[in-house]
Amino acid sequence: MKPEEIEALKEKAFKEFSEAKNLTDLESLRVKYLGKKGEITQALKSLKNLSLEEKRIFGSKINELKELLEELYQERKRVLLLEEEDREKGIDPTLPGRRPDRGALHPLTLVIEEICEIFTRLGFEIVTGPEVESDYYNFTALNIPEWHPARDMQATFYLKNGALLRTHTSPMQIRAMLEKTPPLRIIAPGKVYRCDADVRHSPMFHQVEGLMIDEKTSFSDLKGILSFFAREIFGEKTRVRFRPSYFPFTEPSVEMDISCVICEGKGCRVCSQTGWLEILGAGMVHPEVLKAVNYDTTKWQGFAFGLGVERIAMIKYEIDDIRLFFDNHLYFLESFK
Amino acid sequence: MRVPISWLSEFIELKKSSEEIAEILTLSGHEVEEVFDPYKKLGDLISVKILEVLSPEDLKEVVLCRVTDGKETFSVLTTAKDQVKPGLILALAKPGSLTFSHQKVEVKEIKKYRSEGMFLSPFEAGISEIKDALLVFPEDTPLGKSIYEILNIKEPVLEIAITPNRGDLLSIYGVARELNLICGWELKPLSFEESLLKGEPFEGEIKILEEEGCFRYIGRLFKGVKISESPFFILKRLFLCGLRPINNIVDITNYVLLELGQPLHAFDWEKISGKKILIRRAHLGEKLLMLDGVERTFTEEDLVIADSEKALVLAGIMGGEDSGVTENTQNIFLESAWFNPKWIRLSGKRHRLTTESSYRFERKVDPEGVLFGALRATELILKITEPSEISQIVDVYSRPFKSPLIEITSQKINKILGFKIEKSFIEATLKKLGKLQTEGDTFKLRPHSFRQDLEIPEDLVEEIARLYGYDRIPATFPVAELKAKASRLELQLERKIREILKGFGLFEVITYSFINPETLQKLNLSERDERLKVIELENPISSHLSVMRTSLIPGLLEVAKFNSAREVEDLSIFEVGKVFFPDTELASEFTHLAILLKGEKKLLPWEGYKRKYDLFDLKGILEELFSALSLEVEMRPYSQELFLKKGFSYDLYLSGIKIGFAGAMKNYVLESLDLKKPLFVAEIDLSKIYTLYSEVKRTYTIQKPPKFPSTFRDISFIIDKEVPYGEILSYIKGLEIPYFEKMELIALYEGPPIPEDKKSITLRFWFRSEERTLFDDEVNALQDEIAKKIFAHFKAKPR
Repeated sequence: MKPEEIEALKEKAFKEFSEAKNLTDLESLRVKYLGKKGEITQALKSLKNLSLEEKRIFGSKINELKELLEELYQERKRVLLLEEEDREKGIDPTLPGRRPDRGALHPLTLVIEEICEIFTRLGFEIVTGPEVESDYYNFTALNIPEWHPARDMQATFYLKNGALLRTHTSPMQIRAMLEKTPPLRIIAPGKVYRCDADVRHSPMFHQVEGLMIDEKTSFSDLKGILSFFAREIFGEKTRVRFRPSYFPFTEPSVEMDISCVICEGKGCRVCSQTGWLEILGAGMVHPEVLKAVNYDTTKWQGFAFGLGVERIAMIKYEIDDIRLFFDNHLYFLESFK
Repeated sequence: MRVPISWLSEFIELKKSSEEIAEILTLSGHEVEEVFDPYKKLGDLISVKILEVLSPEDLKEVVLCRVTDGKETFSVLTTAKDQVKPGLILALAKPGSLTFSHQKVEVKEIKKYRSEGMFLSPFEAGISEIKDALLVFPEDTPLGKSIYEILNIKEPVLEIAITPNRGDLLSIYGVARELNLICGWELKPLSFEESLLKGEPFEGEIKILEEEGCFRYIGRLFKGVKISESPFFILKRLFLCGLRPINNIVDITNYVLLELGQPLHAFDWEKISGKKILIRRAHLGEKLLMLDGVERTFTEEDLVIADSEKALVLAGIMGGEDSGVTENTQNIFLESAWFNPKWIRLSGKRHRLTTESSYRFERKVDPEGVLFGALRATELILKITEPSEISQIVDVYSRPFKSPLIEITSQKINKILGFKIEKSFIEATLKKLGKLQTEGDTFKLRPHSFRQDLEIPEDLVEEIARLYGYDRIPATFPVAELKAKASRLELQLERKIREILKGFGLFEVITYSFINPETLQKLNLSERDERLKVIELENPISSHLSVMRTSLIPGLLEVAKFNSAREVEDLSIFEVGKVFFPDTELASEFTHLAILLKGEKKLLPWEGYKRKYDLFDLKGILEELFSALSLEVEMRPYSQELFLKKGFSYDLYLSGIKIGFAGAMKNYVLESLDLKKPLFVAEIDLSKIYTLYSEVKRTYTIQKPPKFPSTFRDISFIIDKEVPYGEILSYIKGLEIPYFEKMELIALYEGPPIPEDKKSITLRFWFRSEERTLFDDEVNALQDEIAKKIFAHFKAKPR
């Protein structure tokens, strides 16, 4: 075999290998060139009549070619094997996946968790307490004696054993202050009850109470903390507004409004065209309350706030009927997955 | 409280629109809930044109008018025969609307004739006192338009939510005074002529026998008054404020109440026996038929106004029917008083009675305003009822009011507010609130008598902050110690449980803490069951929500029912919440977890494969939950709960204490609740877990990658059906098997060819040595040995 013939063989083999369309073609090429009776073997056989020197030179050339072809074959086979799999007819990949089960927490739990998370970041400790309360903790200790007209603000459920269902989470202020020594920062989420039922009122609902008592905690601090809270829960752009108000257990008292999240303050049905949504009540803890728990009013002062969880959830998720929360229909619950 | 802008402007120069005033009041702590026009609330009062006037023979007193509102035509019957003629444009109140005198307009039928509305006189339209003529519009008046728009009558009224501390704002003058404080607009002072105090000597006697209940009592006698309907301006203002007129005397008392906030009462002097007015405690059991037609029985805690024989009035709350002013009354006795707010409040609560009068007394009236009230009423009575004789004012002021002296320093104000407010502002503000004395940084204030809400220094801080403007106060972050405790174990555990169950595909629900006692009854509990000892609500919102829950199951069943009635039969839900049991004080509250599975488990629907929930879904959830909490809860088969199917239930035990139950609800119970089977429930007392949880030391067994391979062998056998798997499991656990790693149940079969009373079980045993690879022979020997032991112990046969 002449050198030109080896070159020609190489060229032809290269061309054919690279044009092999499938594994069957490739296999027949392997047999054709690299098989026991293949062209390479034949070429090597054809060397037997040559001189030793020529055998060595041509032999190594053909062997080189053989190695190259082996390599080419492997490479081509790898490519074709991969292509082969792609040619498999797939299933319908647009069918739905086999999802693992995943439930959801109740939206009120989600909101309570979010509120608690914000305040625990600020170093507030979560506490809880009884839902069946005494008149003393629910009213009297909070500077709402029996004859106080402010009792009208909270239609109370009484129990036949003389106790009542707490009408707000504020008794937790008293309980926490009695249990702990100042300074203190607590929040108390929980259920509260009032004799009311319509689209906006549920006989049972949730509040989160907050209390911070320290030596210098001021009304400005109240504004700072609550404004921060409003922006954390309703978004950076939220504007807040503070209005004077009245609660027997705080003085000065305040109500906080946020700019309507629906219309961004332009005025819409949700905010009754005012651009503002009332969101919580707060104030500086009334000295009578501090006295009720034997705190030195010349040393300690602070603020308390109470916010309605349903109200926040309704604003946040744009829910227009409070009863949805307690009907617990699956479709409603699934909205919070 | 309703404040008509037109009335308000009589006392203060209003420099802003009613909307702006509403905003000012809201931002000063007096939330204006609505600005509305009472005329517009009357309904459809529109202009119509008469097309023709018919006088059918069978109608005598009335004529029939065909009218049009520009779009439709309809018929109206009217008695004003002489005034109607075709072409006339009149005011019509359509059916469904109200007239000025609170008459509800309805569709009427006389014989076969229909009347769809009523023509209005200027009086019925609330425009003037003219009653005997119809309100007629000029020819070119557009039809179908609101008559108030045509006449350009606007009467904006503010609906203000007055907080309970500000009783002084429960009057038109009070709101004017507050606007003067906030905006500085000029206020008309209250003043009366000296002569108004004078009159004939009082022929009766006024005696306060209970000074604790009544601090001041002013009375005056008017003789020969003419009782009639009130003049139009009074009627209109009562209308704007939502009060109904009665007669001129009663209306005057209401008018003064609205204007000055001082409740008044008028008696028929002839009904007062012995000419004595006694303010005393009621006798126990003393009865009075009151103006609302209800006879009430008093206690000694009630204060009454009485004559020498009997109680006439429940003081400050409501009068008796007998002593009230009627059209036949000639001589009236007028009362203006200041009662102890606590007495009025408690008395009102005792008798479940709130009136315009008691509402104001409860919230503290101005002790100095008692006289103004009497004088203002005198003025009006003189003008309107033309009495022939009036007595002098009798003023029994047994406990003269003294406002407290409140002392505060600018340091204290700054400390509470958290920033420095100019001293000049403080001083100027306090001056407006009463008599001020300033000594250096100390301010001493005696507030005006009407500002009884100002009692302590903090009250003054609020006034200063409020008038400074809450929005001008800086918002700062407190500087405090950097310490906060982790939340309590209970909360952490509750959170974890919620998250785990959510991960298992369950949905959290929140149900009411009060339940329907009937649902509890349907659980078929034994009579002695603690859960039947419910705490009842004294005043439930409905009988369906009348007892405190002692279990979460009724609530979950209600959720299942609600869903089932609305397309959802398949449910997997849970709740974490409190249950309530009676206790010596308050209640014993425990936190429970309950789970409910119902219907079919969600699988891929297009695979055509669905299956119903079964017991092992519930058991698996619980096992995995307890495993995640590192709690070794024992699920003892056959629950004691009577509402569970015995053969498909467990009682749950932790450290030998029962903590709950799980299982399938009995069909009997489900049917009574109208629920479809299958339905599985579990309830666990988490409170019990909390106590035990804190004692449990959680250890982890750390496993490393194996060095040598494991080998398994299966053992299959046929055994009595009755033998529970748990028994086999615990027997095997008791065996000491060398190289034993774990065991799994890999097959359970019942049915042919296995005899009916038997079952076939295949167990897979895994063996491993930490030192070497085990030989087949030795593992085979182990397999034989275990099999023999099992066969012998359970009288089982190899399969």
